[in-house]
Amino acid sequence: MILYDYVLSPDCYKVRLLASLVGARLDLRAVDFHPGGEHRSAPFLRINPAGTIPILQDGDLLLTESAAILTYVAASHGPDWLGDDTPVMRGRVAQWLAFGHRLSASIGKARTHDMLQKPADIDACRKAGVAALRELEAALVEARLRGEAFLAGNRPTLADIACFPHAMLAPDGGISTDPYPTIRLWTRSLRALPRFIEMPGIHRLHELKPEPTGSSQ
Amino acid sequence: MSAAWTPVALSRDLPRLGVMPVCVDGMDVALWRSASGRVAAWADRCPHRGMRLSHGFVRGEALSCIYHGWSYGAEGHCLRIPAHPDLAPPDAIRVPVFHATEADGVVWVAPQAPDAMPPTIEGSALRSLTVEAAVDWDAVAFSVSGPVARGTLSGVAVTILVQPLPNGRYALHALTEATASPSVLTEVSRGLEALRRQAEGVFA
Repeated sequence: MILYDYVLSPDCYKVRLLASLVGARLDLRAVDFHPGGEHRSAPFLRINPAGTIPILQDGDLLLTESAAILTYVAASHGPDWLGDDTPVMRGRVAQWLAFGHRLSASIGKARTHDMLQKPADIDACRKAGVAALRELEAALVEARLRGEAFLAGNRPTLADIACFPHAMLAPDGGISTDPYPTIRLWTRSLRALPRFIEMPGIHRLHELKPEPTGSSQ
Repeated sequence: MSAAWTPVALSRDLPRLGVMPVCVDGMDVALWRSASGRVAAWADRCPHRGMRLSHGFVRGEALSCIYHGWSYGAEGHCLRIPAHPDLAPPDAIRVPVFHATEADGVVWVAPQAPDAMPPTIEGSALRSLTVEAAVDWDAVAFSVSGPVARGTLSGVAVTILVQPLPNGRYALHALTEATASPSVLTEVSRGLEALRRQAEGVFA
C-alpha cells in the first residue's frame, strides 16, 4: 500500500497510526505540501483531482477520503478496528468517521491557517472547533456513564482514530484543549496503546517508559 | 495571594500519573497525581525555560518537564537534570508549590494556607465543564453559598462547584445524588449543556 503522506497532516497521521496499530506496512511517499504545494501539481491532480492528501494506492484501488482509507486499512489488516458487526457499533463508527471531517474543516483549517498561513475565516473555524470539542467531550462523558471508555464501545475502533489527532492538535490552531478533562483521559488511553506512534505535536506517554539511566562518560 | 480554597477538578479526572492544567486566582497551575496517589498543585511553569509543566509527565513521585526532562520532587525542588546526569541540582531551582487537598471526590487548591478545610460536599462526581459567561443561578432556581450552588436538573439533586477563570469564564464541577441511574445521569449531563447554552446566550 502506497500512502502519499505529509508528516504534519493529522489526516495522514491517522493512516500511519492505524497502520502501525494493526501491523500493516505502508510505502510512504512524502508530498511537499508546504511550501511546495506539490499536492496541487499536475502529476498529483491526475491521481486526485481534489488536490488533497492523504491518498492511498493499493494495486488498482485509489482512495482519497480519510474515512475510506481508514476503513480499507482496517478491513484488510485489522478488522477488529471496524467495530463489532452490530447495528449500534457500526452506526457509531460511521458517526465518528463523519465527525472527523467536521474536525478537519474546523480545527484542521484553523491549524493550517496559524501554522502554514493558509487562508481561512479563523474566528469561524475556532468557533466551530470549540463546538466540536464540546460535542466530543459530552459524548465521552455519556460513554463513560454507559461504562465504555471509547467512542464506539469499550474498545478502540476507527471512531477513535478518526477524532484523536485533531483533538490533540487543536492548540496549534489557537483552540485550547484545557477545558476537556474527559477528552484528556481518552487521549491518554489511546496514547497508551501497544504500537502507538507519534507525530510532531503528539507525543507518547513518557511515564510508560522506564527512566533513562544515562551518565556522562 | 488568596487564602481561600478553589475547586479545580473532580478527583476522577486526575488518575495516578496524570497531570492537567487548572487556574487558581488567575494563576496557571499544574495539577498532578503521583504513583502513590498524592495530589500536588504547582505553578505551571518550568524554572528552566518556562514550558508549561502541565505538558509534562509523572514518574513515581516526581513531575518532569516535557521540554528538557528536568524533574521535580514533592516539595517542588529539582531532582534531576538529564543533560547533566552527574550534577546535584542546586536547591535554588524550585517550582512554587500551592496548597492542595482532596475531599468528597473534589480537588481544591489555595495559593496560601487557608484557616479551614473546604466545605463538605455530598454526592457523586458527574463531570466538569467550562462556561464562557456567568450563570444566573436564580434563573435556574439554584441556591448559592460561597463556591457551592445547589439545585435540581432533570429531577436529580445536583451540587455544582463554581471555579472562576480569567476573562469572565467559569469551570463548573457537577456532582449528583449517588443513586441516579446512568440514563438519568445522561439527562443531567445534557441539562448542564443546556444550562451552559442559556448562560452563553446561545439558543438552538
